[in-house]
Amino acid sequence: MGKLYDELCKDYRFKEGLHTCINCGTCTAICPAAEFYRYDPRKIVDTVQRKDDAEIEALLKSDTIWYCGECMSCVTRCPRKNGAGLVIMALRNLSAKLGYFTCSEKGRQLYPLTKVLNGNVLNLGYCVHASTFAYEDHPESGPVFEWVLNHKEDVYTRLGANYGGDGPGALRKIPQEDLDELKAIYDETGGTERLELVEKYSLEKAKEMGMTPEEYLKYTFTHCSRGHFNNEEA
Amino acid sequence: MKESVIIIGGGVAGLEAASQLLALGLSPVIIERSDHLGGHVAEWYRLFPDLSPAQDLIARLVDSASGARIYLETEISRINALKDGYSATLNNGDVLFCKAVLVCTGFHLFEAAKKEEYGYGIYDRVITNRDLEHWFGGAEDERITDNPKAIGFVHCVGSRDVKAGNTQCSKVCCMTAIKQAIELKEKFPESEIYCFYMDLRLFGKKYEDFYISAQKDYGIHFIRGRVSEVSEDIEGRLLVKAEDTLSGKPLKVRLDLLVLMAGMVCHPQTARIASMVRAEVDDDGFLRSRDNIYSIVESGRKGIFFAGACTGTKTVPETVAEARAAALSAYRYIKGNA
Amino acid sequence: MIYQGKQKIWSDYQKEIPDNHWFYVRSCIRQNFFPASEKYFVKIVRDVLGKDLFETEHHTTCGGIAYHSDTIPQETAMTIVARQFSLMKEAGYKNLVTSCITSFGNYCEILETWREFPELEARIREHLWKACRREFDKPEYVAHASDVIYKLRGEIAEKAKIRLVNRETGEPLRVVEHIGCHYSKMFPHKGVGGAEYPCVLSGMVESWGGKVIDYPERRHCCGFGFRQYLVKANRGYSVSNTHKKFESMEPFHPDMIITNCPGCPYFLDRWQYVIAEQTGKTYGKDGYGIPALTYEELAGLVLGYDPWDLGLQVHQVAAEPLLDKLGVAYDPAKKYLGLNEKDIMKPGLPTVLKCC
Repeated sequence: MGKLYDELCKDYRFKEGLHTCINCGTCTAICPAAEFYRYDPRKIVDTVQRKDDAEIEALLKSDTIWYCGECMSCVTRCPRKNGAGLVIMALRNLSAKLGYFTCSEKGRQLYPLTKVLNGNVLNLGYCVHASTFAYEDHPESGPVFEWVLNHKEDVYTRLGANYGGDGPGALRKIPQEDLDELKAIYDETGGTERLELVEKYSLEKAKEMGMTPEEYLKYTFTHCSRGHFNNEEA
Repeated sequence: MKESVIIIGGGVAGLEAASQLLALGLSPVIIERSDHLGGHVAEWYRLFPDLSPAQDLIARLVDSASGARIYLETEISRINALKDGYSATLNNGDVLFCKAVLVCTGFHLFEAAKKEEYGYGIYDRVITNRDLEHWFGGAEDERITDNPKAIGFVHCVGSRDVKAGNTQCSKVCCMTAIKQAIELKEKFPESEIYCFYMDLRLFGKKYEDFYISAQKDYGIHFIRGRVSEVSEDIEGRLLVKAEDTLSGKPLKVRLDLLVLMAGMVCHPQTARIASMVRAEVDDDGFLRSRDNIYSIVESGRKGIFFAGACTGTKTVPETVAEARAAALSAYRYIKGNA
Repeated sequence: MIYQGKQKIWSDYQKEIPDNHWFYVRSCIRQNFFPASEKYFVKIVRDVLGKDLFETEHHTTCGGIAYHSDTIPQETAMTIVARQFSLMKEAGYKNLVTSCITSFGNYCEILETWREFPELEARIREHLWKACRREFDKPEYVAHASDVIYKLRGEIAEKAKIRLVNRETGEPLRVVEHIGCHYSKMFPHKGVGGAEYPCVLSGMVESWGGKVIDYPERRHCCGFGFRQYLVKANRGYSVSNTHKKFESMEPFHPDMIITNCPGCPYFLDRWQYVIAEQTGKTYGKDGYGIPALTYEELAGLVLGYDPWDLGLQVHQVAAEPLLDKLGVAYDPAKKYLGLNEKDIMKPGLPTVLKCC
């Protein structure tokens, strides 16, 4: 058994997600990603099951493992109680740890995701927050949300939120002592280490691609080349 | 006085065992809980691989067992071991004495409604293999429309499935599916028929010829992919989702009829029966034989014998063979102890 | 379709839901996009039905979105959750109710993983102690807020001012129900009614007088996909999945969609706007869309609360056609007013999707 496979075996999601796969295709049949992306969860689980380190390394560096939407529809139906979505999470986790995520376009997106989401968690205590939600990055949120963002205090308070206030309520200000505890948890459990690793590998890649960190952040957030979807020509 | 043998179950195994025991000069008694003899096979229309009528086989078995004492709609409440045999108390109050007991309780058909994602009992055009056999035999079924243009067969319903509670293969469903696909194509020659399978288990004499004929003469389509979900569109047609694993693409097929190949699972009464005769239940839910190669018909307990699907999935010829073996073993046991 | 078949399945998956003494944890997405829904959940459970629902300002995000976007290790996610349990223990509660479906799935997954691998639970206890000197007990019950409303739906029906009946036709309202994937797809027994035919929302709709519409892609994911939406480059995946659902439900002409996940109503709402602008197609009548409501909003309408207090104005798809069908009174002039009826202008109008 190869080193990469052994690393995967340490992840509890892998322990839960891969027992024995018989390639029946039930997971791919129901997978939303398989319908639109060039993606087949069955093939990924089958590859991993073969324990071939070279193939696993190729997977970790590919776009393929980043197509899954983690909806877990595959978990409901597998007749051998595997979970392709869980195997994907383990693969992504390992790819992040080893820095292989920067080898693929979809993998490189881990940089803006990590920065924005964890910035929100550690600074505000929310995964998503109106104060860091830029309408230009989300035009699909519609003219109604542009209006909401332009009148945050009024709209949120009128709708019963405790916007930025003390005490309980929606969108309250989460006390600093609680944010400090979250930071301590990140430090203790390897969360901070992960944020630093993702930053390090991403900035190395940015330099390699001839971009500043800001350019790289914008690029990885917006760039999508052809060839990811089934209905495109190669 | 002839020595008596109690046979629990009046299906194929029980009837054949009774007929052999009669020929050997013993006195078999059949206890059958339903109102008819012949078990599951009595509900079937034609049997593979020769497409011989099931009713002919049943008639023959019933005829050759007619010298046995037969209780219908009767169950056994208790079995007690005696010094030289067993006594069985029936739920009608009768107490019977015997030298040996033959367990021929057979199997239970997996309740297809438990695979909720296939919509049996919810969508209008989903039926089981058993429903289809009834229809072939002349029963009415409003779920089968006059001119289905596309028909699907789902293999492994309730089999090879941890979540359905049965990890074993049901052995006969692949052949049954191909047989029924051919029979349906004969009824509806204009229809397209799809068999959705994981593996094709065609292990017996001339079974592979059936498969070849299904492809060559009947144009049945075989898709290697387990059905994940069935839903119903506004016209009542079914939408089936599977992956064609051989080309690696998910697909959706619109069908007018879907047949679920419900598998063989252990009988729900197995545990009760096992405790009555002090036999063990194997971890696949069926009764445990003394071993799985040489002594399948023996239980390991003196005077208790097994035949047929009560120990695991069986085809009809296997059941008939085991019934004869069990009858002979019972006979030798009784004479050996005399 | 044979309705009794579904009812038999529902009876196999009856989940025990306590009816009082809850510790409430909020949802990041709900708070940002549907804050009035959370307000009304608390109001209905506490004030209208008189139950004990406790909230501490010290609770944070469970980190579920960060976890499912693969940005934090599993142990970090588990320890954040352990901290929430610790707050619950401090407050003296045993029943956890979550506003978010991803949270619900996250809590269930973590508890199940600890059950199967006790050594992991021990490690997380150690982490939590070392990080913030906290200890925790595992909750006795974890439910989603929609489970609580489901459990209390009869009491809500008794106090109802509006029944879910279409005044124009006299027929029960045609409602599509959309269940968040993380509710019961991973653990069918944790969802009321199981994974295939969950009845948590259909139960509500039916006890309030509506009719649930089934359609082929009912179980399909709305397409959030975490990274597939959060990263702009990937949004094609997200809108394609929602589009698929709308194409599938269109022939059935639903009057509205009810959802229990915080993200799903956002996507089912906003992608209709995007599909309209990009392709010119709308799914409601006369160029409107199909309103996608949260269950709190629907419960609030049924109890007679004002639609603008319930936050229907912050949906992109206009709810007015639905409100008219139900006979709900509303003042169009007050729709976009701010605090103390301040005039804060109105949102712009899309070019294709008809909005009010």
